[in-house]
Amino acid sequence: MTIQSLDPRVTRAAIPQENETEMAPIPPLDQLESYEVFHLETRGDHPVHVGSLHAPNPEIALLWAKEQYGRRSRTVSIWVVRTEDISVISVEDADIFATTPEKDYREAKGYRVGGKITAYKRQNTTEP
Amino acid sequence: MYGNLSVIDAQPLDPNQVDDPELLAEFEARIARGEKIEPHDWMPREYRRQLIRMIEQHAHSEIIGALPEGTWITRAPGFRRKMALIAKVQDEIGHGQLLYSAAETLGKSREDMIADLISGKSKYSNVFNYPAETWADTAVIAWLIDAGAIINQVANSKGSYGPYCRALERICQEESFHLKYGYDNVVTLATGTPKQREMVQEALNRWWKPIMHFHGPPDTVSVHTEKLTRWKVKMASNDEMRQEFLNAYVPKIWDLGLTVPDPNLRKNPETGVWEFSDPDWAEFKRVINGDGPCNRERLAVRRMAEEQGRWVREALRKPDMKYVTPLS
Amino acid sequence: MNDTAALRDLLLRMADDELIIAHRNSEWTGLGPIMEEDIAFSSIAQDKLGHSLGLYRILESLGGAEPDAVAFGRSEGEFRCCQLVEYPIGGYDFSLMRHFLHDTAELLRYEMLERSSFEPLARLATKIKGEIKYHLFHANTWIAQLGARGSEESHARMQSALNEVFPLALGIFEPSDYETELAAEGIFPGEAALRGKWLETIAVTLEKGTLILPSLDAVTPAYGGRKGYHTEHLKPLLDEMTEVFRIDPSAEW
Ligand SMILES: [Fe+2]
Ligand SMILES: [Fe+2]
Ligand SMILES: [Fe+2]
Repeated sequence: MTIQSLDPRVTRAAIPQENETEMAPIPPLDQLESYEVFHLETRGDHPVHVGSLHAPNPEIALLWAKEQYGRRSRTVSIWVVRTEDISVISVEDADIFATTPEKDYREAKGYRVGGKITAYKRQNTTEP
Repeated sequence: MYGNLSVIDAQPLDPNQVDDPELLAEFEARIARGEKIEPHDWMPREYRRQLIRMIEQHAHSEIIGALPEGTWITRAPGFRRKMALIAKVQDEIGHGQLLYSAAETLGKSREDMIADLISGKSKYSNVFNYPAETWADTAVIAWLIDAGAIINQVANSKGSYGPYCRALERICQEESFHLKYGYDNVVTLATGTPKQREMVQEALNRWWKPIMHFHGPPDTVSVHTEKLTRWKVKMASNDEMRQEFLNAYVPKIWDLGLTVPDPNLRKNPETGVWEFSDPDWAEFKRVINGDGPCNRERLAVRRMAEEQGRWVREALRKPDMKYVTPLS
Repeated sequence: MNDTAALRDLLLRMADDELIIAHRNSEWTGLGPIMEEDIAFSSIAQDKLGHSLGLYRILESLGGAEPDAVAFGRSEGEFRCCQLVEYPIGGYDFSLMRHFLHDTAELLRYEMLERSSFEPLARLATKIKGEIKYHLFHANTWIAQLGARGSEESHARMQSALNEVFPLALGIFEPSDYETELAAEGIFPGEAALRGKWLETIAVTLEKGTLILPSLDAVTPAYGGRKGYHTEHLKPLLDEMTEVFRIDPSAEW
C-alpha cells in the first residue's frame, strides 16, 4: 500500500505507507561545501554580502546564488567565493580597531585655520 | 584570533560547557546594550542550544510548510494563481535554506538537521500537520498562517543573534507578498460565486483551530524562562502574539462577512483583550506528539525527497570537499 | 498578415509546449533533490508559464479567447504540444534531460524568431531572451556535471535518460502543414532548419558531459502531438490542472 495523498504529486510518488527500515544515515557533506554570496544591485555599487549557500563548485554556486539571492531584487552581478577561502578578523577581536582617540591629525576636523587668519588680519590691517 | 575560517569555525554545542561568569556578564551586557551576538562570539551553552533548536524548527517549518500548499500546485486555477503559488512555495523553500544556514553558524550541519527532522527528533510548526483539503485552504493558509508567522518573525528579527536576524529581515520582505497574495485569494473567493464563498468559509472553519494554536500554548502553561527573554531569544510571549494576530485579522475576516467558528470570540470592550473558547490544547499536544492528520505523510514525503535526491547529491560530492560553517 | 491559420498553429504549438513543460517542472517545487536546486527549477517553471501566457496573449490579439480559457478550457485533442512535454516527471535524470533537450530547441527557436516578420513574436522573443539564456546555462551546467563530472551512477542515469528522451525530443520538430507559408512570409524558417541547428548544438554539450547521442537512424521521432494526437499522459494532466478552474470556469479565481 502506498500513500494516497490529497497532493496528486505525492500519490504518484508511490511512497510506502510504512517504512520498513530507518532511512540510511545522511553522509557528511551531503549538502555540499559552503559559499558566500555577494550581490551587486547597480553598476557602480559596492557588492554586498547577502548570505551563503551550499554547492559543489563555483559554477553551480553561481547558478544557485542567482536564484536564491538574485531572483527577487534588481541585480546586475553576483559573486560567489568559497567560505573556506575567506579570512576574517573575528568580531570577538573588534578591540584591535579601537585605537586611541588622539588621532585628529588624520581627520578633517583636526585642522582649523580660521582663527589664525582672523588674528593675522587683525594684526596687519592698517587703520583707515 | 584572525585568519582562515577553519581557525574560527563554529563551535558545536558542547553539553559539558560550564559558563564562565565573567564571559557571561560580558555577553549579557552586550545584549542589554542592544548589540547583536555574532557566530564567533562566546555564548552560554543554553543560548546556543535554544537558538539551534528554535532556528532549526523554524527552518523545518518552512520546508514542511511547503507541502500543504504544494498540494494544490498542479491545480491552481488560472495563470496568475499558478505562477503565484509556485513563487510562494518556492519562497518558503528559500526561507528554509536561509534559516538552515543561520542555524549552521551555531555548529550544527544541515545534514544533521534534516536527519533529525525525518527521524522525528526535531519538530516543526504544528499547523502543517493539517491537510489542505481544497483550493480555498491554500488561500486561508497563505493569508492567515503567513500572517501569524509574520508576527512571530518580525518579533524575532529584533532578537539578539545576528545571523537569525539577518535571515529574518530577508524573509519578512518576501512574506509581505505572501500575505497580500493570500488575502487577495481569500477576498476573491469570499466576494465570488456562492460556491467559492462556501469553499472559503469551510476552509476557514477547518483552519481556525490550527490558527489559534499557531503561537503556542497560553503563557500560563508555556514554560520559557525569564532568561530567554533577557537574552532576546524569546521576543514576544505566545499570548501577546495571538492577541496581536486577532486584533489585526479578525476584523478583516468579519469585514468579508465570513464567520469564525467560535461563538465566544470577541474583543472585550473594557479590557481591549480578545476572548475566545479553549481552542482544544489537548489536540495541540496530541498533534505535536505525532498524532495529527498528516504528521506521517509529511515526514514520509520529506524522506522520499531525500532518498530520491540522494544520487544527485552523491554525484556532486567530491572527495576533497571540506565542511566549513557558513560565515554569517 | 493574411495567413493567420499558419501563424496560429505556430503560436499554439509553442504556447502549449511551454505550458505543459512548465506544469511538469513545477511538480518538483518543494520536492527537489537539493534546496538550492529546488528554488532554481521552480523559477524556470514560472518563467515558462510566463512565456506561454505571452504567446496565448498574442493568439488572443489574433481573435482567440483569453489565455486562461485557452489554457484551462480545452480538451486534450485541441492541444498542439509535442508528446515530449506530456510525460510524467520521472526521476530528476529524466526531468533534467527533457529540460536540456527542450530548452536548447527553445533557445534556438526564439533566436530565429527575433528576426521574424511577425512583429509581436519578434518582440516577445527579444523580451524573454535573458530568461531562456539562463535556462540553458542551468541545463548545460547540469549535463556537464552529472555526465562528465559526476559519479558512475549519475553518468549511467543521464545516458539512459538521453536514450529515452531523444526520440521524444525529436517530436518537437514534427513538421506542420504550414512550413512553406511560414518560411515564405519570413515568420519562421521552419522546423527542419531548427532541428539541424539543434542537433549541432546539443552535440557540443553532450560531448562535454561525455554522453553519446543515439544514432538518428535507430530512433523513431515521437510525432503526433502537433496534430492533436497525444500520449495517455496528457488527459490526466489536464484533468488535474483544470480541476479547480472547472468548478466554475466563468468565475474569477
Ligand atoms: Fe516562510
Ligand atoms: Fe509560511
Ligand atoms: Fe510565507
